[in-house]
Amino acid sequence: MKNPLRKRWLRDLKSELGKYIALFLFLFLTISFVAGFLVADNSMKVIYANSFSDYDIENGHFTTDRALTDEELASLEKNLDLSIYPLTYIDRVMDNEHTVRLYLPRDPVNRVDLLSGSLPAAADEIVIDRLYAENNELSIGDTLNISGVTFRITGFVAFSDYSTLYKSNNDMLFDANKFTVSIVTRSAFDSLGTVGLHHCYAWLNDDDTLSDSGQLRLSERLMYRIYQLDILEEFIPRQQNQAINFAGDDMGSDYVMMQTLLYIIMVILAFIFAITARSTIEQESGTVGTLRASGYTRKELLIHYLTLPMLVTLLAAICGNIVGYTFFKSVPVSMYRHSYSLTHYETLWNGKAFWQTTVIPLILIFAVNVLVLWATLKMPPLQFLRHELRFHKKKKVMRLKNGSFLSRFRTRVILQNTSAYLTLSLGILFASVLLMFGMMFSPLLTHFKEDVVSTQISDYQYILKSRQETAVAGAEKYSLMSLQNPKHEDVMVYGIRENSAYLPNISGDEAVISDGYLDKYGLQVGDTVTLHQKFHASETYDFKIVGSYHYPASMCVFMSQDRFNEIFELDADFFNGYFTNEKLTDLDAEQVATVITQAGQTVMADQLEDSMGRMFPLFSAFSLSIYLLMMYLLTKMIIDRNAESISMLKILGYTNEEAARIFTRATLVVVVIALLVSLPISYWLIRIIYYAMMQEYPGWLTFWLAPWIMPAMFVMGLSCYLIVSALQLKNVRRIPMASALRGQE
Amino acid sequence: MQLQLVDICKFFGEADSRTAALRGVSCTIQAGSITVLLGPSGSGKSTLLNIIGGIETADSGQILIGGEPLGAMTEQELTQYRRKHLGYVFQSYHLIPNLTVKENIEVGAYLSEHPLDVNELLRVLGLWEHRDKLPNQLSGGQQQRTSIGRAIVKAPDILLCDEPTGALDYSTGKEILQLIEEVNLRYHCTVVLVTHNAAIGDMSDRVIHLRDGAIVRDEQRAYRVHAKDLDW
Repeated sequence: MKNPLRKRWLRDLKSELGKYIALFLFLFLTISFVAGFLVADNSMKVIYANSFSDYDIENGHFTTDRALTDEELASLEKNLDLSIYPLTYIDRVMDNEHTVRLYLPRDPVNRVDLLSGSLPAAADEIVIDRLYAENNELSIGDTLNISGVTFRITGFVAFSDYSTLYKSNNDMLFDANKFTVSIVTRSAFDSLGTVGLHHCYAWLNDDDTLSDSGQLRLSERLMYRIYQLDILEEFIPRQQNQAINFAGDDMGSDYVMMQTLLYIIMVILAFIFAITARSTIEQESGTVGTLRASGYTRKELLIHYLTLPMLVTLLAAICGNIVGYTFFKSVPVSMYRHSYSLTHYETLWNGKAFWQTTVIPLILIFAVNVLVLWATLKMPPLQFLRHELRFHKKKKVMRLKNGSFLSRFRTRVILQNTSAYLTLSLGILFASVLLMFGMMFSPLLTHFKEDVVSTQISDYQYILKSRQETAVAGAEKYSLMSLQNPKHEDVMVYGIRENSAYLPNISGDEAVISDGYLDKYGLQVGDTVTLHQKFHASETYDFKIVGSYHYPASMCVFMSQDRFNEIFELDADFFNGYFTNEKLTDLDAEQVATVITQAGQTVMADQLEDSMGRMFPLFSAFSLSIYLLMMYLLTKMIIDRNAESISMLKILGYTNEEAARIFTRATLVVVVIALLVSLPISYWLIRIIYYAMMQEYPGWLTFWLAPWIMPAMFVMGLSCYLIVSALQLKNVRRIPMASALRGQE
Repeated sequence: MQLQLVDICKFFGEADSRTAALRGVSCTIQAGSITVLLGPSGSGKSTLLNIIGGIETADSGQILIGGEPLGAMTEQELTQYRRKHLGYVFQSYHLIPNLTVKENIEVGAYLSEHPLDVNELLRVLGLWEHRDKLPNQLSGGQQQRTSIGRAIVKAPDILLCDEPTGALDYSTGKEILQLIEEVNLRYHCTVVLVTHNAAIGDMSDRVIHLRDGAIVRDEQRAYRVHAKDLDW
């Protein structure tokens, strides 16, 4: 015989439909959104990773000041086990001042992905980058005027070697608004002449199993050979090509945030499920006691009370995954496509995302529910029959001498419902953590950018390709090397001149570390930092930290220039950059690798703001909804628990409002205290979560909570309660007077 | 199934407030009999019933159920004991509000490998016409009938009734007592009934009078008065 208690599930669901719909929706929305995000994020990462072989992306390219002869090409290919392909291009400025880079149809290296339309077939036809077209509202059939020649757009493409539209590899920022790559026919290309023509060549290694360091060693040999020809203008191995790598490096950076959000919400929802299930047991304690007395085992009752929450979670997880895979995936896809020129998107099955959005929520909700329900059901049947669902009976009743009758009544309500109010306080703490998480990021990024700008070493920071002198007064030489830490994060190592005008004095063997680096890894003065060369992990350098410097822009190690040159075995007068507050106009622009300005310093925060910016308000709104739901369910639980008392008050002649006020005001006192206590605890928890989360991030964003957030949270929490208490008045009205009499049976 | 109680003691509270609920209660209840535990409030009769039912433990003494000592049972074994051998009826009916009358009885049937026929039982209980109603659509008497049905559907060896008529009016109370009597006769289960109504003792084989936790009188009755003939 099947357990007849099963018949209750559907009826329980019906009788508490509102609660279950709310919980289902929260679970469903969270899971669908996060599943969509994780699935799309992973799909894009896989597609991006596969694009290297799918589109035969170069192992690097170089530009020469003349075309290589067939003999030169053959010699290079033969000696270095690689294949070199011409990738000649022309840069032209269009009427709107935008730059267009024109290529010939590409094959077999760096092939393009035709996203819509068709490739150019006639001399007046052109295909351009999809993202540039979207940013400039261009459609197929529109025309572009390039150096007096009108081209008709026949299609939109994604260049496999331009997933990020960097015009120059030295640029700090990419620009998909004013720069595009394009393909025209051979005849159109030839007709454009030689102005802006670049003799570019891409190479593919014959051995595609080479490691990154192996590829770099090969590229160094290639560079040396071309350098010997004295025609080299630019040489960029794939590993150093921002246009190829930047999008890939950025992908997945939001993953940790979404995952953290998912787990916080799941724990909160598990908690809500558990306390509502416990509340149901409390309300049915007589029945539970009878069932236990009749021989029902705890396991049978646990399964009974656990089934509905688990079914709701399972349904939400299934529906959430379906909607995530089919609909919500488009949110991150459009976010990435809004920033990068990516090849065709295809949703790929992701076992990890399924595990994280389905199995883990089920396990979390199962575990929390089992813990809470088991603890409740552990009580002996008699306690259920007597409605005594407390582990410890109070031995003494506290005497309340002061205050009016009503204030003493309210105090008594609080004292008699301590466990319920502790649950409410815990719920408020959970919801506060979520709300703080939702509210903190936007101001954190703004503050970070302001901080970066205010702590900028100099207005301009030049990085040179080769040694160059300047006559500009105030320009200060420095040395710079980009190394990596054991987690393969870039760390900039600076050699600073003694008595620097831009940085505090560092002398002798001292190494000062940026405080972000210190913060991120919990390092302390006296610790040693080990860094290694980017593609040569075996070449390591140890730096003993003697102090920290507030420099949030990047993770850095500062030392004296002498020490720097000594460590890296460089000439005593070596330098490769200038700090300056004025533009250095007397440098050879070709020999300037990059100029770091204010905008360049905040690029990481800008990108995070760009990709996640639209989601922050959503986070906050969602957090607030959970806050409301949590408060409603928990305060309802308190009203339900006190239904008999409220009923009795009504019998005695109290109005609905008066009866409600006694309980809602008692709850208000608890809510205010819980809010005040939960704020510093939330801050502490969020800090822990944030630091754990940032471990997965490349770089560091200084933890900062805007001063207005805590007061705002308090006001929002209180407002939520006021709304909820108005709703609870309805619940109080619904309590029949007969329930007090029934309870006395 | 025979019940044997040997020197049962039970205390509540601690230190100054420690009160004896049962003080050395000993008796043997014969299988198939109706035994009434009679006494005023606080006499320990419900505590004794709960100890027999395995939902409360004695502080000392021994309870033998069919020769098996209850005190030696683990919690799981106690659950199994209740499941296999006991039926419980309370003053408050504790029916599951969103299950129908029939389904509430099935809740009891589920616990037994050989339950009584639910439909037949519904007729015996006079609940056939109400089988699809929810508890809140029933009168107090009908609800108590349902709770008796839930208790006896698993054909228990022992039926424990704690003030089964306490919440009912005179005639409904009598109907319930008739039903318990009928259950005893039809299914041969041992009935232990707690009440403070002395008249109910007349329908039993034995009346154990309790006061302040001790047996003050153990009255073996020569004959049972039919429940329908009881008067109070």
